[in-house]
Amino acid sequence: MGLIEIAGLLLFFMLLLLAGGVWIAMTLAIVGFAGLALFTGTPPGKNLFTAFWSSGASWTLAALPMFIWMGEILFRTRLSREMFDGLAPWLDRIPGRLMHVNILGCGIFGSVSGSSAATCATISQVALPELMKRGYDEKVALGSLATAGTLGILIPPSITMVVYAVAADASIIRVFLAGFIPGLILMVLFSGYIVAWALANPEKTPPAGPPMSFMAKVRASGNLIPVTLLIVLMVWVLVKGIASATECAAYGVLGSLAIAWWSGSLTWRNFIDSLMSATRVSCMIMFILAGAAYLSLAMGFTGIPRALAEWVGSFGLSPIALIAALAVFYIVLGMALDGISMIVLTAAIVLPMIQKAGFDLVWFGIFIVLLVEIAEVTPPVGFNLFVLQNMTGKDSNEIARAALPFFGMLVVTIAIITVFPQVVTWLPDVVMGAEKK
Amino acid sequence: MRKALAFAYDAAGYLAAFFVFGIFVLMIAQTVMREINLPTGGTDDLVAWFCAAAFFLALAHTFRHGDFVRVTLLIERLGPDPRRIFEATSLAIGTVFTGYLAWWAVRYVYESWKYKEVSTGVIIVPIWIPQLSFSVGAVLLFIAVIEQLVIVIRGDRPLYVTAAEERHARGDYSEDI
Repeated sequence: MGLIEIAGLLLFFMLLLLAGGVWIAMTLAIVGFAGLALFTGTPPGKNLFTAFWSSGASWTLAALPMFIWMGEILFRTRLSREMFDGLAPWLDRIPGRLMHVNILGCGIFGSVSGSSAATCATISQVALPELMKRGYDEKVALGSLATAGTLGILIPPSITMVVYAVAADASIIRVFLAGFIPGLILMVLFSGYIVAWALANPEKTPPAGPPMSFMAKVRASGNLIPVTLLIVLMVWVLVKGIASATECAAYGVLGSLAIAWWSGSLTWRNFIDSLMSATRVSCMIMFILAGAAYLSLAMGFTGIPRALAEWVGSFGLSPIALIAALAVFYIVLGMALDGISMIVLTAAIVLPMIQKAGFDLVWFGIFIVLLVEIAEVTPPVGFNLFVLQNMTGKDSNEIARAALPFFGMLVVTIAIITVFPQVVTWLPDVVMGAEKK
Repeated sequence: MRKALAFAYDAAGYLAAFFVFGIFVLMIAQTVMREINLPTGGTDDLVAWFCAAAFFLALAHTFRHGDFVRVTLLIERLGPDPRRIFEATSLAIGTVFTGYLAWWAVRYVYESWKYKEVSTGVIIVPIWIPQLSFSVGAVLLFIAVIEQLVIVIRGDRPLYVTAAEERHARGDYSEDI
């Protein structure tokens, strides 16, 4: 049996376990075990221990619980209410009016949160009732919230990027920095679509609120002070070199605790709830990462990734064709899997392929994060759809249809970064210096 | 028996949360110490071990809470009886795997203890001390999976399904990324 056939067999075994409902982390490890035990002479047990222990006992990975905890704390504060009040007065005169709060709110919250579902839930819990009360179009409101929520993982910090950086052995800070400009492009595209839609359907946008004086607007913006201070704090400790990208996460927690304390939502109960929640989510992600680490190790011993990379190479696909094929592959995968699993499941196989084709790992990180964002809004499994389904009682397929135009904007962004890879690599290169090859 | 087990899972879960809090304190302390030129050697090792402890000790608690992701596309469309068979099969596979994991987590750490292996970083301690979190966590997870298998075989719905349903019914999606 050739390596390609073995790979096919293992893949079939994995899909069987996954479809049957075996937990993803366990599936990864079981397939890894099968690969080692059946096709190599390497002892599987000792390697299982080593893979799990070295995935868990990792200084880099310690940023993960910090970023998650930060989001959990902010979710339990009044931050999103304050952001709505601070942003709304400025946007009331643009075509589409308060609909833009969804985009801007998610973008700003995304720069303190690393999770797409948390961003979507936090902004929606305030923006959605406010927009419905004022008579905005429900379809566009839901679609924009579902999709803009995914900015949480594109605009740093990002839990997905931490996972990718660990899986790809890339620099976390470089991947973080690389996400900024694509994030801004995406926000412009989202808002641009809302403007175009509002101009085409003028009857569907309710009239603006009573005019406010400039000073009143500035006073209302005082509501944005807490979130601004939090962003400034995190950037400041990074730029001044006080903290590394990992430690910066701990400052995010400190700032979030300060905001919670200042706004009076730092009760003992909220503190324990947020901490326990963060512990469980981190544990879930680390379990997947550990299983994936074992699978990667096993794959390395079998030589499958190299064989597959050569096999794909033998088709002589142009880099663009390879990227297009991968994009379709991930969109299909994203229908059934969550983003984290999607990344770690494929890292062992896809990354060698990508490097062989001459792509930059940091660039590919942003590419894959954009595809994970798509996965969050594609049924049947898309967490942002679940969040909004739960909030509104609407069927998730209906919400997915509402998100379709914004889904298109994500695809446009992927095309932009593929044609102009500089928009991704420019910022990390300027801040950190060009990467040593 | 059930109560004692539930207490053990939750105690380990709270201990894991304590280690998450510990990572936060250590990271802040390290940056402050660096600013005032105090030696920070070894903090990185401690953070890594805390991270491991937070991970392994929370396993059983997280499993019961229904937070481990799985593909439910197929099994959620099944009627109660076929679904029970799928749940039991998944749990049986899970039992074998977590049993194997627990066996190696205990055996390897026992060997570390017997041969007096020490850590390789800045802090020199017998390596079995930080690795103990792995053994304890893996054994607890193994027991928790068996417990749910027994529940399903007896004809009840597993705790991880009902716990996740309750959470989502409350509109709490904070534990999904």
